[in-house]
Amino acid sequence: MLFSSISFLYYFLPLVLFVYFLVPRRAKNFVLLLASLVFYFYGEPVYTLLLLASTLSAYLHGLLIDRTRGTRACRAFLWSSVMTSVALLGFFKYSDFFIQNVNTLLSTRIPLLRLALPIGISFYTFQTLSYTIDVYRGDAKVQKSFLRLATYVALFPQLIAGPIVRYTTVEEELSDRHHTTENFALGARRFVFGLAKKVLIADTLGLLVGDFIASDDRSVAFYWVYALAVSLQLYFDFSGYSDMAISLGRIFGFHFLENFNYPFISKSISEFWRRWHMSLGHWFRDYVYIPMGGNRVSRGRWICNVLTVWMLTGFWHGADWTFVLWGLYFALFLVLERLFLQKWLDRCPRVVSHLYVSLVILVSFVLFHANGLSGAASDIACMLGGGGLPLWSGDTAHYLSGYAPVLLLALIGCTPWVKSTATRLMSTKAGGRAQTFLEPLCTTLLVLLVTAYFVDGSFSAFLYFRF
Amino acid sequence: MRSKIHHLALALTFVVLLGVGTALCLGRALDPVTYSKVEKRPLATLPSKVTKEELLDGSAMRAFDRFTVDQFPYREFFRSVKAKFVLYVLGMKHNNGYAVEDGSIAQIETDFSRENVDYSLSRLSDLYDRYLEDTDASVYLALIPDKNYFFAKEYGYPSPDYKSLKSQLRATLPEAAYIELFDTLTIEDYYKTDWHWDQSRLCNVLTRLGQSMQFADRLPKEYTPHTLAPFCGGYHDQSALYPPPETLTYLTNDTIDALTLTDYATGTTSGVYLPELFASDTPYDFFMAGLQGLQRIDNPLATTDKELIVFRDSFGSSLLPLVAQAYRTVYVVDIRTVHPATLGSVLDFSGKDVLLIYSTTVLNTKTFK
Repeated sequence: MLFSSISFLYYFLPLVLFVYFLVPRRAKNFVLLLASLVFYFYGEPVYTLLLLASTLSAYLHGLLIDRTRGTRACRAFLWSSVMTSVALLGFFKYSDFFIQNVNTLLSTRIPLLRLALPIGISFYTFQTLSYTIDVYRGDAKVQKSFLRLATYVALFPQLIAGPIVRYTTVEEELSDRHHTTENFALGARRFVFGLAKKVLIADTLGLLVGDFIASDDRSVAFYWVYALAVSLQLYFDFSGYSDMAISLGRIFGFHFLENFNYPFISKSISEFWRRWHMSLGHWFRDYVYIPMGGNRVSRGRWICNVLTVWMLTGFWHGADWTFVLWGLYFALFLVLERLFLQKWLDRCPRVVSHLYVSLVILVSFVLFHANGLSGAASDIACMLGGGGLPLWSGDTAHYLSGYAPVLLLALIGCTPWVKSTATRLMSTKAGGRAQTFLEPLCTTLLVLLVTAYFVDGSFSAFLYFRF
Repeated sequence: MRSKIHHLALALTFVVLLGVGTALCLGRALDPVTYSKVEKRPLATLPSKVTKEELLDGSAMRAFDRFTVDQFPYREFFRSVKAKFVLYVLGMKHNNGYAVEDGSIAQIETDFSRENVDYSLSRLSDLYDRYLEDTDASVYLALIPDKNYFFAKEYGYPSPDYKSLKSQLRATLPEAAYIELFDTLTIEDYYKTDWHWDQSRLCNVLTRLGQSMQFADRLPKEYTPHTLAPFCGGYHDQSALYPPPETLTYLTNDTIDALTLTDYATGTTSGVYLPELFASDTPYDFFMAGLQGLQRIDNPLATTDKELIVFRDSFGSSLLPLVAQAYRTVYVVDIRTVHPATLGSVLDFSGKDVLLIYSTTVLNTKTFK
C-alpha cells in the first residue's frame, strides 16, 4: 500500500489510528503488527510469508546467539543469521543480475528467474541483520517476544522504504512508549508536509523527467534541466517518504532517527553523505566499514575499504552495473577529498565548494537514473556537450518555463531557509499566536490539495520501493 | 499553555480531516455512482465477491484502489482544485495534457503514435483497395488539423510532426486527389471548450472543398446563423477547469432545412440537426446525431443528380449539412462504427464522388474497424 493513496489516507490510516488508540497498552503492539502485515499484504500478498520467515530467522538466531554467548557456536549462529539474510536478499534481488553476467562472461544460456522483487526487502533485511549483529556484539538485549521483534521488523511506517531503523533505536519503545498530544500533533504535521513533498513536488518533477525522456528536441541545457529535475525528484520523493515514516512512527510513540538533513547545502561530498540517506550510511559504517578496519589502517587498505563499502552501497540500490558505478563514483570523490581536495575546499569560497558538490551530485543522479551503462555514458556525454546537440532548443524553453515555478519551489525547499524563516517568525509573540491558527490551516489546505492530486489520478510509486 | 493549545489544534485538525474524509468515503461506498458523464466511462465499484486468487495476485487490492479514487466524494470538485492549482498557482503549462490559453483549452499531443497511425492508414488503404481501386469514382482525400496544431503554433507548445502525417496519408492513397485544408483554418475556428470546429466558420473549408470537388457553383450563398446555449464542449469538464459556457452556432437556409437524414441502423429519418441531442452528454451530437455507422442525407431541392459518399469522423457531422446542399444524395459512413466489409451490399461507388475526410486526432487513435 502506498502512503500517497486514498486507500491509505482515508481507509487504512484512520482505522489503524482508531483501533490503536482504543485498545489497552498491552494490545498496541499486536494492533501495530497486524496493521503492518495487512499493509504489506495489500501490496505484496505472497511475499508476506517471506517477511515473516525473515523475521522468524532473526528471532531464532537472536535467541541462539544469546543462549550460546561466549562459545564458538555463538559466532556460528551469527554467521548463519548473516548468511540467511544475505542469501534471501541475494536470491530475490540479485539472482538475475548474476545469471546475466555469467551468461555474458561464459556464453552460457542459463535462464533468468525473473522473480518479482519483494517490496522493501532491502530495508527489512538490513534491519534484521542489524538486530542479530547488535545482539551478538552485546549492543542490544535479545528480544524474547516474537511479537515485539516482528512489530519492529514489520512496522508499517518504515517497512517498505525506510529509513533503516536500528533495533537499538526503538528497543525500549517496543515495550514502553508514551503517547502524547504533542507527539501526535507534530507527527501529523510532519506527515502532511512529507506527503505534500512527495505528491506536489517530487511527482511533478517526475513529469518533467518524463517530458524530457519523451522529447525529441533535446539540447545541452535540457540535459542539465533534466539532471536538476532528477536530483530534486529523488530528494523530495525519498525525504518526503522518510518524513512520513518518521512522523507516523512518532504518532505511534516511536522516535526514529533522521534520514535527511538538507543534503544539497553540503560543501563536500563527505558532508553530502552525512546528510543524505543517513540511516544507510550509518548502517554501512557500523556493520561493514568499521569491521573492515575503517580508516585505522594503511592508506592502501583504507582506499580498498572505501571502494568496497561504496560499491556495496551502490549495489544495495539496485542490481545493475550503473548502481555499482554510482557507488564507486562517490568513493572516488570521498577518497580524493580525504587525500587533498577537502583542504582545498576548506580554503576556497563557499560558492566554489557548493558548485563542486552540485556538479558532482547532478552527474551522479543522471548516472543513477540512466538506462544501463551505455545510457549513462550517453547522457553524461550530452550534458558535457559531446552529443552533437544544440545548446538550446524549443522544448528546453517550453518545459523550463512550464516547470520553472516548481523547480524554484524545490530549490528553495531543499534548503533550511523555509524552516529557519518559519521558526524565526513563530518565535515572536505575534508569530506564536498566529502559529496556532496557521499550522492547522496549512495542514488542512495541504491535505485537501494532496487529496485533489490523488483523486485526479496523480499516482506514482515511490522510487525507493524497489531498492 | 500556548503550545498545548497549538498541539491540540493540530491534532484535532488532523483527526477531523481524516475522520470527515473517511465518513464521506464510507457514505459514498454505500451509495456508489456508477457512471462518469465527464469521462464517459463506468466508475469502479466494489466487487460483490473477492476470490482467493484475486487476493493473492493483488488484483483485488488494485481494484479497491481504483474504487477509492473513482468513488471519492466531490470528485469533480477535487479534480478542479488540482487543475486550477497546477495551471494557475504552479504556473505549469498543462494539467493531464490539457492546456489553456486565452480561454481556449486544448489537449496537448507531442507525438503521434506510429502504431496507431500505421493501423489507421492500413484500414484506409484496405478500404480503397476493396471498393475504390477499380471504379470510376472520383476519390478525394482531406486531412483536418486538430486544434492542437494551431494551439501549439500560436502559443509555443511542442507538437507532433503534422507534415510527416500528411505525407504518410498521401503516400497511402496516392490515387486520391488530396485537398489541403490546413491553410483554411485558424485557432479561432475551433470552439474554446471543445476539440471540434465551429460550423459557422467553415466558409474557407467549404470553398476549398467546393473548388477541388467542383461543387462550389452549386452551393447557395445565403445562410442564417442560429445559436444554442449554453454549449459546454468536451474539454469543459474533462479539463476540470469549467470555463464559462459558449454558444453553439449552426447555419440554415431553405436547402438545409429541407435536407433529410436517414439512419440505416434504426431506419429513422430526421433533419440534419437534432436539437434534442444538444441537451445530451455530447451536445455536438446536435449535428447529424454524432457517431453513427451509416447515414444518408437526401436533398429534395438539389439542382444535380450527383451523389457523394463520405467517410468521416465527428468533424464531418457539422461540415456535411453544408456540403450536402451540392448533391442529391450523400452517403455518410463512419468506419469506427461500421465495418467496411459490410458496405458492399449497401453502397455502389461507381460514378460517385467519394471523400475521405478525417481529423489528425482520429488517425492517431486505433478506432477504425
